[in-house]
Amino acid sequence: MRQVKFIFALWKANLQAAMEFRAAFFTQIIFMMINNGVYFIFWILYFDKFNAVRGWDINTMMLLFGITASAWGIGAFFFGNFISLAEVIVGGRLDYYLSLPRPVLLHVLASKSIGSGMGDLIYGIGSFMLSGYFTPDGTLRFLLGVFAGVCIFIGFLVIVQSLSFWLGNTVALSQFALSALLTFSLYPSVLFDATTKFILLTLIPAALIGTIPAEFVREFSWQSAIQMVSGPLVFLFLSIFIFKLGLKRYESGSAIQVEV
Amino acid sequence: MKKYLSILTMQIINNIAYPGDFLGRSISIATFIFIFAGLWGTTFTIANTDAINGLTFPNMVWYFMMAETLELGRPRINRTISEQVKNGEVAYILNKPYNFLLYHFSAGLGDGAVRMTLNLIVGSIVAWILAGAPPAPLGWLMAFVTLIGAWILHFCFMALIGLAAFVVEETNSFELIYQKLVFILGGFLFPLDMFPTWLQNIAYALPFPYMMYAPARLFVKPDVDLFWRMLGGQAIWVTVFVFILAFVYQRSEKYLTVNGG
Amino acid sequence: MSSIEVTNLQKTFQTKRKAAGMRGSLRALFKPEYNTVEAVRGLSFQMEAGELLGFIGPNGAGKSTTIKILTGILHPTSGDAKVLGFVPWKERQKLAYHIGTVFGQRPQLWYHLPAIDTFMLFGKIYELDDCETKKRISFLSEAFEIRDLLETPVRKLSLGQRMRCEVAASLLHRPKLLLLDEPSIGLDVVAKQHIRDAIRTMSQEEKVGVLLTSHDAGDLEALCRRVIIINHGQIVYEDKVSNLKRKFLTRKMVEVRYAEEVPPTFSIDGVEILKVGSYGVKLRFDTTKTPVDAVMAHLSQAGELVDITVSDPPLEEVIAKIYTANSVVE
Repeated sequence: MRQVKFIFALWKANLQAAMEFRAAFFTQIIFMMINNGVYFIFWILYFDKFNAVRGWDINTMMLLFGITASAWGIGAFFFGNFISLAEVIVGGRLDYYLSLPRPVLLHVLASKSIGSGMGDLIYGIGSFMLSGYFTPDGTLRFLLGVFAGVCIFIGFLVIVQSLSFWLGNTVALSQFALSALLTFSLYPSVLFDATTKFILLTLIPAALIGTIPAEFVREFSWQSAIQMVSGPLVFLFLSIFIFKLGLKRYESGSAIQVEV
Repeated sequence: MKKYLSILTMQIINNIAYPGDFLGRSISIATFIFIFAGLWGTTFTIANTDAINGLTFPNMVWYFMMAETLELGRPRINRTISEQVKNGEVAYILNKPYNFLLYHFSAGLGDGAVRMTLNLIVGSIVAWILAGAPPAPLGWLMAFVTLIGAWILHFCFMALIGLAAFVVEETNSFELIYQKLVFILGGFLFPLDMFPTWLQNIAYALPFPYMMYAPARLFVKPDVDLFWRMLGGQAIWVTVFVFILAFVYQRSEKYLTVNGG
Repeated sequence: MSSIEVTNLQKTFQTKRKAAGMRGSLRALFKPEYNTVEAVRGLSFQMEAGELLGFIGPNGAGKSTTIKILTGILHPTSGDAKVLGFVPWKERQKLAYHIGTVFGQRPQLWYHLPAIDTFMLFGKIYELDDCETKKRISFLSEAFEIRDLLETPVRKLSLGQRMRCEVAASLLHRPKLLLLDEPSIGLDVVAKQHIRDAIRTMSQEEKVGVLLTSHDAGDLEALCRRVIIINHGQIVYEDKVSNLKRKFLTRKMVEVRYAEEVPPTFSIDGVEILKVGSYGVKLRFDTTKTPVDAVMAHLSQAGELVDITVSDPPLEEVIAKIYTANSVVE
């Protein structure tokens, strides 16, 4: 409860900062919504031609976009530093968070807001509402799915970027991990063979963001329910554990690479 | 002319010096082709057919390979330009004894040439594994010729977006929209052949197919008739956009001399 | 009661070594070589509650590393430390409620927001209630003369104004101990004086202990009672500032002006003549070797004195001497 109040105070500060540049803030939101919409035209054209692929139709696809965009949007808007954690670590900017009496990881993540994330979130919710699964129990499962997606996005990226504690600058690696995760999460994993599907559940857990939640909203099944609860929990705990482990090795930018 | 050539070579050397970026881009193009092949492999299997609107599965994969080569090999010149406009660096560059736009054009070409070559090599290997042998030599030739026009059109768009920083704070939004228009109307994700006719008509009335569809489609199915049509279209759009760009650039230059950067 | 106790603290960093160029990068990727840098080497010291202690040393001496260990930012390689009874790297959050920190090179105020907004956020972070926070802000804005700056976005403040806001922010939660890392870095003379005055007043009024690192000896003279000089991660000198002055500031510089011309052959035993002009003399002597009254007597005998200036050598010079003395020992 104490931490909830604190998080709200951070969000308030983020919003105040965004309002300093409100024109840019609203432009970003609107353009991001248009951007997603135009991108989705591809699937409209595709399903116009082929109707369905392995049980996936345009409605399931709208669900998948709805969940992925909402999860991404929530991550970006409310925990915006989850994509720049490696830079924070390498640049020694954890000093600030470490000198204040709050959980470091939570504090870092919630200290930045990416304005366009709100555009993704609005788009995601809209996409869900138009998908045809906008019923009371569908909404409940949608919320659960989005929550799982947020946990995977954040957990996975925190793990990858925490490697900076050991490996030094991993900004390039993190960017690649992010783009792979995001790209794969926008496609149904039924398109791929068994090996790829397994990779998409583990090494690049994109299926846990898009496909599985979308199928879960479409139709309740115990298998996807279990995957959706256990996957995010594993990634979340692992990320906190690895981050804490890394913190002991934090060098605060003091160790400069020596060129000889 | 000579100085622009040296800018171009400088950029090539610069590019080779970062093996990390090299690796990252190779993995990216490999991943994208892999996903695309997955989607269309499944689609062809389910549709139980060899060709959809005249395109086979290998056609699709090689088509996408060429499209990705261009898309991922295109340096984000608009970001460099808008950065320079925002931090005022542009005022100094304007005073240098070379043309601002030609500088970025040659630097971008040098940068792009290296990236595209690498993309082409890595992409071809992945496409070959997933879809079999590459298209005929005529396809390569036609693709290369139309790539030039496509590249110039991309440059005009990126330069215009970059220069927009004179007027608006945030140009990233424009970049996103331009990219998505090329994705859809340029036939990047979906060859124009598969569009419903009304959408094809709209697309052909716009510059986007000449920026993406032209080289990719001619690459997998070389066609003399289409080749000349595409080349003609490129010629018209390049003329139009070079004029627009020159006009906008002149206005910005005046703006600079009046407002002092 | 001591507020800081440090025993045999050590911190080593592993830094990757890389040869220049692409080949070096590749080799570093596959077969990394490491250099060990000993930033802090067996540091031990104590600080009393409410004390004003200065930590002085050149760049890279280990000052910042020590402060970062004491706030819980860095884990030490070995050794013990207690700050206000807490082991910083184990009880970081508990400790953070009782200390205030300012890192001169790492601003804590939100760049795009007015300082008042960060103050209110800090109130939440330290779990103060809003009413209390506001009262405290109003008090601090008097003490640091920042009342008129609070509503301006931080990015529009001058560096000096911003630093005053930074220090004020670090005192919001009434810490018992203030750790300041290079608080005056980059400031002009007036701004430095301003910030020193504010810190001194606050520490006296609220009995806040201050541990301050700086490579500016002026901070030390203005603020601290006791000084620890470190170099290469070790203590090279530790004493009261007044003792430091007494021991090392023994050389006086004197400039005199006369009503009539001075003979160019002017000289006094045991005094180094730096310059003889037609109406004035500049000289230097050591007060432990040559008595002051003897020199003064000589000077007044030489003619009718119009003006006299006596000055100490700058403390920087003294500290530089201590550093070199230390590196010779090595």
